[in-house]
Formats: sequence, C-alpha cells, structure tokens
Amino acid sequence: MTAAWKAAGLTYNRYLAIAARTVRRSLKETPRLNAERRGLMDLRFAKWESGKQGTVRSLAQANNEAAAKAAEK
Amino acid sequence: MNSFRFARSALRARPSMFSAPIQRRGYAEAVADKIKLSLTLPHQTIYRSTGVTQVNLPAASGEMGVLANHVPSIEQLKPGLVEIIEEGGATKQYFLSGGFAVVQPDSQLSINAVEGYPLEDFSADAIRSQIAEAQKIANGSGSEQDIAEAKIELDVLETLQAHVK
Repeated sequence: MTAAWKAAGLTYNRYLAIAARTVRRSLKETPRLNAERRGLMDLRFAKWESGKQGTVRSLAQANNEAAAKAAEK
Repeated sequence: MNSFRFARSALRARPSMFSAPIQRRGYAEAVADKIKLSLTLPHQTIYRSTGVTQVNLPAASGEMGVLANHVPSIEQLKPGLVEIIEEGGATKQYFLSGGFAVVQPDSQLSINAVEGYPLEDFSADAIRSQIAEAQKIANGSGSEQDIAEAKIELDVLETLQAHVK
C-alpha cells in the first residue's frame, strides 16, 4: 500500500519534516521555544551564469515550489 | 606397585573431570535477557546502549514489541508512542515523530527519530487548536500538496491526542 503523502508526490524527507514540525508545535511553551529553532533553515543559493551571479533565492522556498510542481504532475 | 599406578592414573583423570563443567554453557549466560537500546535524535541522545527489558514500537507494519534475541530487522516507524520497559520494571514513554528502528543480531536496538519528547511535555490545548487548523486546510480547496501536508499533520495530531490527556 502506498502512503497518501507518497501518492501526492511528497518525498519521505518532506514527510518526516512535516511530522517533526507538528510534534514541535504541539509542545508546551518552554520546550517548544527551545525546539522551534531547530525547524528553521536559512540557506540561500544563486545560480552563476557566464561569470555573473543570478538572483539569490531561499533554498526552502525553492524546494517548496519544486515540490508543488512535482505534486501537480 | 600396582595400586600406585592406579592412583597415578586417577590423578591424571581428575583435571578433565573438573574442567568439563566449566566448559558447559548455562542458559543464563548464553541468553542475556536485556536489549541494548540506543534512542537517538539529531540533537540529543536519550538512551546510549542502555540495558532494558522490552521496547514497544509503532512500526509502519503494525505495533511490535522487541525483547532480547529478536530477529534482526529494520522497521520504519510511524509517528507514535515508544514504550520502554526498563530493567527495574519502570516504563518510560516517548512520542517520536517518525524514523527508523534497527534490530541487530546481538540484541542491540537502535531507534533514530527526528523529534522525540516524553508525553508530559505536550500541551493538549496546542494539539486541539492545530487539529482544527489542519482540518480546515485538509477539507479546503488548496493545492494537492497543501492538502497532503495537512493530512500528515492530522495523522500525527490525532495519534498525539489519543495519548496526551
């Protein structure tokens, strides 16, 4: 049996990240504030073409867009 | 003279008679009744090769209990409650967000998960408000991806709610 998230085009990595995020958000105030910082990702990237830097984009955002595109297929 | 030779052979026979019981392996030493449990998160080690009696896991293929000398296996874990019965008989419960459990041939059990907390760290109010929010998205008209993500959240939250009072 295929899991529902897999049928919707999500990767296992994404599935785990969402489950972990949900667990973090369900915690009581003190442990939650300590844990939420772990969910943050601030990686940025830019594509270089013929010696010029392209636009700098957030990796998390680009990942989300790619996942959404994959889900529509 | 004859009796002297007999005594010598008896003397020689003795060591082998005594060494035999030492070579025999008893049930108690051959079958250790402990599992060496390692429960690790990316940011924290909860158990490090600690001897415990039994571990109950929420495997994707169904709930399972692991005792010593379990068949080696790799199990994917659903988000759910892991129960650890320690040597003294005390039970510890952790809610894990999903990961893998590996049973090795020498009674070693490694559990890896992304997040894991004891039940008393969860807030019933936070769970309830998140369920309402996730249900709104799951039944709404968002993209297929948003709905799938909301359904994962609902699955986690409903399991949590069943355990957190």
